[in-house]
Amino acid sequence: MIAALLAGLVFFSLFAGQLPPVWLAAVCLLVVLLFLLGGGHHHDSVLTMDVYARRSRLCRENAAFKTVGSLCLLIICICSSSPIPPLCLFLFLSVATVAAGGVKLREYLSLLGLPAVFLLLSGLTLLWDFYQKLPEQAVVSLPFFGGWLAVVPAAQSLAMLVLSRALGAVSCLYFLSLSTPLPELLAVLRRAHVPAIVVELAVLIYRYIFILLATFRDMKDSAASRLGYRGLKRSLRTTGLVYGGLLANSFRRAGACFDAMESRCYTGQIAFLTPKKKVTGKLICLLGFPLIGMLAGVWLFF
Amino acid sequence: MTTVEKKIMSFSIVAGLVFCVPQTASAMHIMEGYLPPAFCIGWGAICLPFLAAGVIAIRRLVQQHRKSILLLAMAGAFVFVISSLKIPSVTGSCSHMTGTGLGAILFGVPATSVLGLIVLVFQALLLAHGGLTTLGANTFSMAIAGPLLTWGLYQAGKKLRLPKLLNVFLAAMLGDLLTYCVTSVQLALAYPSAEGGVWASMVEFLAVFAPTQLPLAIIEGILTMLVMMGLETYAKTELHELRSAKGGLFK
Repeated sequence: MIAALLAGLVFFSLFAGQLPPVWLAAVCLLVVLLFLLGGGHHHDSVLTMDVYARRSRLCRENAAFKTVGSLCLLIICICSSSPIPPLCLFLFLSVATVAAGGVKLREYLSLLGLPAVFLLLSGLTLLWDFYQKLPEQAVVSLPFFGGWLAVVPAAQSLAMLVLSRALGAVSCLYFLSLSTPLPELLAVLRRAHVPAIVVELAVLIYRYIFILLATFRDMKDSAASRLGYRGLKRSLRTTGLVYGGLLANSFRRAGACFDAMESRCYTGQIAFLTPKKKVTGKLICLLGFPLIGMLAGVWLFF
Repeated sequence: MTTVEKKIMSFSIVAGLVFCVPQTASAMHIMEGYLPPAFCIGWGAICLPFLAAGVIAIRRLVQQHRKSILLLAMAGAFVFVISSLKIPSVTGSCSHMTGTGLGAILFGVPATSVLGLIVLVFQALLLAHGGLTTLGANTFSMAIAGPLLTWGLYQAGKKLRLPKLLNVFLAAMLGDLLTYCVTSVQLALAYPSAEGGVWASMVEFLAVFAPTQLPLAIIEGILTMLVMMGLETYAKTELHELRSAKGGLFK
């Protein structure tokens, strides 16, 4: 709800003075409606993105190629000095993730809603500035404690650029993370000579996340069945105790896990089998085409 | 402004005020693609020495006690899990802890910075929270600046013989507040306002994020305090083990 209203306000200040009022109202209403319908960030399953990645049709492609390609796109995207190439990239990669990857459109939109609050709040500060005197070119202005809060065209174009770059970059991130399960990414990091201890730690952390989440769910349910979450004060107390219990539990499990590893001849290195995946023509098209496009676009608009 | 524009404007302001209860307050990460390239590289470079120190400390620790890699991994998973879970707060809003303050108190700063980096990568890839290009900036605010302050305050409080729980609460809360201030400074440095420069822009960012971040810091402090309380009651032996492992971390 709040995100929807914020989005309306941001889009209003973004396009005020550039579009006729009817169009402006239409754009704002459309955005508000989109947010009301598509928004909503639910907590039932923490690891939704992991599930989507494993279900994705692009999961079978080569992970190293996907990682390098997406990172290159990401870098070119944030180097762009015009909003048009990142917006095109956003459209292309969103279509690629949904059509080629097989993520449902509704799910993709609700994932896009996740960073929206940050984007909108900071977009607001980029757009509205405090002035002692009302600037002449101000499109929208409000009196505020003896000065003026106003939106000027320069701020509008900056906000437009930042918003579009962020959107483009988020689509790159989603393309990567919605098509590549985390263990494969970590294998790529290992091949890129990230210190072995860090990668090993990351692999273990990834595995423990599932154990801890399952334990947490049990603890929370049993606390809830004893009315542990009634009222703010009591639920804070319960949450603190559950987290403490979870941490204590996890340390105990780490002990048990170590014993199991020792008895299986653990000598300080954990070896994993990673299946080899070939680079296919489909993937080269999916990443090569936007790469060439972005390079051309950034160069053209420079 | 035309009348239609005025109407839309006043409606959105009134509606905004009516619903001005923070709804989603997550630990404040700068989102993917938000910072210009120079700042991404700069903040990453600032983090490097801390991370190198962390990797060296962890490697040495693991060579001495092999079991400690599992303890650290569990701690990292714990930080990730609590940062992805909803915590109780004011009416219907949902917020998340950062958990790095707790990490700093339990494991010290070098280990927390490396764990924080891994957790931030996981958050970016699994929760779409933060990002890969802004990893340097987020690591600095979440996994270095905040934990440093928390750890320093906690040690100072111990020297001053503050009551233990009050000490934990203050250290965790102020560490969380520093994270939010550092993030605002990072945003302001990247996008100074046209009139008034970095300072004015920083005040703006601080003001916009304050309604969500201030209550969050207090709740984080209370929860960290309660977790410590729970650990002292139920996990005395593990805590002791951890202390001896941590002794190895600072050698």
